[in-house]
Amino acid sequence: MMTFGPPSLLPAAAYSPALALGVGVVVALLSVVAFWPHTGLIARWTRFRRANARVLAEDALKHLCKCELEERVPTLASIAGALQISLNHTADVVEYLQSHRLIASREGEFELTAEGRNYGMNIIRAHRLWERHLADQTGLAEAEWHGAAERKEHRLTPEQADALSASLGHPTHDPHGDPIPTAEGEIAPAGGRSLAAMKPGQAVRITHIEDEPEAVYAQLVADGLHVGQVLRVSQVEPDRVSFWSEGEERRLAPVIAANVTVAPVESTLAEEHPGGRGLHTLAPGEAGVVQSLSPLCRGPERRRFLDLGILPGTRVQAEMRSPGGDPTAYRIRDSLIALRQEQARLILLSPESEAA
Amino acid sequence: MKTSHPITADRVLREAQTLRWKIGATFHDDLVESLYKEASRLADRAVTRPGDTPRFDLDRTVDRIVTSRVWGFPLMLLLFAGVFWITIAGANVPSRWLATLLLDTVLPLLKQFSASLGLPRWIDGLCLDGMYRATAWVVSVMLPPMAIFFPLFTLLEDFGYLPRVAFNLDRWFKRAGAHGKQSLTMMMGFGCNAAGVVATRIIDSPRERLIAMLTNNFALCNGRWPTQILIASIFIGATAPPLLAGLVSAAAVVGVALLGILASLATSWGLSRTVLRGEVSTFSLELPPYRPPRFWQTIYTSLIDRTLFVLWRAVVFAVPAGAVIWLVANLQVGGTSVAGHLIDWLNPLGVLIGLNGVILLAYVIAIPANEIVIPAVLVLTVLMTGTTGVGEGAGVLFELDSHQATLQLLKAGGWTLLTGVNLMLFSLLHNPCSTTLYTIYKESGSWRWTVVAALLPLAMGLVVTFFVAQVWRVVAP
Repeated sequence: MMTFGPPSLLPAAAYSPALALGVGVVVALLSVVAFWPHTGLIARWTRFRRANARVLAEDALKHLCKCELEERVPTLASIAGALQISLNHTADVVEYLQSHRLIASREGEFELTAEGRNYGMNIIRAHRLWERHLADQTGLAEAEWHGAAERKEHRLTPEQADALSASLGHPTHDPHGDPIPTAEGEIAPAGGRSLAAMKPGQAVRITHIEDEPEAVYAQLVADGLHVGQVLRVSQVEPDRVSFWSEGEERRLAPVIAANVTVAPVESTLAEEHPGGRGLHTLAPGEAGVVQSLSPLCRGPERRRFLDLGILPGTRVQAEMRSPGGDPTAYRIRDSLIALRQEQARLILLSPESEAA
Repeated sequence: MKTSHPITADRVLREAQTLRWKIGATFHDDLVESLYKEASRLADRAVTRPGDTPRFDLDRTVDRIVTSRVWGFPLMLLLFAGVFWITIAGANVPSRWLATLLLDTVLPLLKQFSASLGLPRWIDGLCLDGMYRATAWVVSVMLPPMAIFFPLFTLLEDFGYLPRVAFNLDRWFKRAGAHGKQSLTMMMGFGCNAAGVVATRIIDSPRERLIAMLTNNFALCNGRWPTQILIASIFIGATAPPLLAGLVSAAAVVGVALLGILASLATSWGLSRTVLRGEVSTFSLELPPYRPPRFWQTIYTSLIDRTLFVLWRAVVFAVPAGAVIWLVANLQVGGTSVAGHLIDWLNPLGVLIGLNGVILLAYVIAIPANEIVIPAVLVLTVLMTGTTGVGEGAGVLFELDSHQATLQLLKAGGWTLLTGVNLMLFSLLHNPCSTTLYTIYKESGSWRWTVVAALLPLAMGLVVTFFVAQVWRVVAP
């Protein structure tokens, strides 16, 4: 038989639902403030902790290496700007570098020692390899690569960077078109010219998109510009540069276009609309012939398309659209494959397409 | 032969180093593309296709109808409502038949046998009243609906219709960061979450597959429908006039199921934007040609692959659960059963979130299978309230025939309308059963994701029931 009384099923005397509700709401708000991605307290705290002396020193070395490659003269102010810290703080960092014999200063100018150059190149190598990895082997959005690599570069040892390079097939360039230094510190010379300096009518291929400052880069990404893209410059005016690409005419402010490096191409195909137009422009019933896969289509996505037999010269017919408006089913090599709009956009068609 | 530049390893390496920068950034892509191009050239040369003369194309005609703006969705709803109706209507009879066989015929025989052997009471209780009864319970509740639902579903799949459903619904799943095929794994989850998790194999994009696995639990599974229906009828239906009671309780159950779909999409959205941001995502959905389903083969494989597979795992987990429930009810520590101590300990938390200690303990015991939540609640309530004349002894699972008797027992246990509502919510939002968790571990190969799959819905359940209880108590006098 039962020898104990049933526990009270009424809440304790001190309990008040309104108070509990209030406490619950406060706890919920506090956890939002603490855990919110990027801007939450925990995210801020980890970011703050990362900005220690070593990280700042490595970032400064990276800046000095870049200055050397671009033949600019680094100053205390330029280091402070790159590191986004005060001049006083920068002086401390420079002193730290000098005490470790990573830089030498001569007549007020900084110069990398051999050891410092090697160190800085390793950081650049780690950064660019990691960006390549993020682009090819993960689904992280393009705008997040740079930030993630900024953090990872300080944690990757040269041995790990070598292993990463091998697993990526020893890539030569990062996804922004910057050359990746070899383990010995060798690097390809920078080439190409700014998009802003092109003349109307020129056909060019983008070889590099500068990923700093972040706001400008974010705009270029949002505009869908990418390394390997073919453009035809249509107009150059003091306040804007216009060009045709992938079936659309686009404009950029010259200050933004200056962050895009291009090299001329002798393109005879698709004179009017270099790069053709996207598969997503086909209405159900229309067909087209694939000209190329956009350079934006990378890694697993690209392999998947190739697996499906989407190759230059393949005929693709739009069959039907989902009642929701997206995706669209395409007949490709006798099978029916549904693709979402942003994927179909990556498949570029020859300019001539036919109605079925 | 004279040469001014002898070939040395050093020179070759230096040459390679300079050439390396000239091959271009897209070298690898170009190489792979040329391999595929060559393969397709060979295929085009070797394979001849019948002429392209346009003929009546059955596939195309069917596709036009099932994906049309007008007929697409009504057809879909009709088909799925049909599948669910056949499952529910068809499962009742065999379920009762199995229960009669296993519990009313076989159990007394086993009891007689153990009595004739003169086994001690605790062995008899632990093995027969504990383990055997829980297993028999799970089998009789679970087997018939699964043996009907899965073959029907597999027939639709074999016919080629299901990919069209994913095609129709993809837009909404895409907004949640998920794959259209998640609609199918979710549908499968209404049968059994473990089977739903296995079904996520159809999603080939790693990120979307993980999302589908982690959110499958929000599809109200077969083991939870009976709980929902019982609680809705005795608590929520009772608040409406008798004429509308059936309708109101049905609406409450459907509402909970819809809430589950909403929770599934909302969680998918959150996961794809936070922890799963970096996972690889590639969408593609093949719409295979229609073909007449291979009826017997389909029935056979769906019984073997899905029904028996899931049933076996459930049985493996139900046996220890039966032992545990019998033991906590019968083992005494300091004059009180272990269950009594546990309930005392869980009660403050339970009451705070509008449930009680009995329900929380029942959910702990029922981690192996959601089917035994209600029987466990009843057993523990009888034990706690000291009600006599109900049930078949401490720790022995039972169910009451009439809703009225169940309601009276639960009211004696201190239940209110709030307890009923929150139990329905908690039944939707809590950790998946151990069978599902084990399947998630097997499929994802990761402890981390398995832990997330267990704790995420549990945390959501606790938060939701907490706020519902507080608001309820503030608003209702």
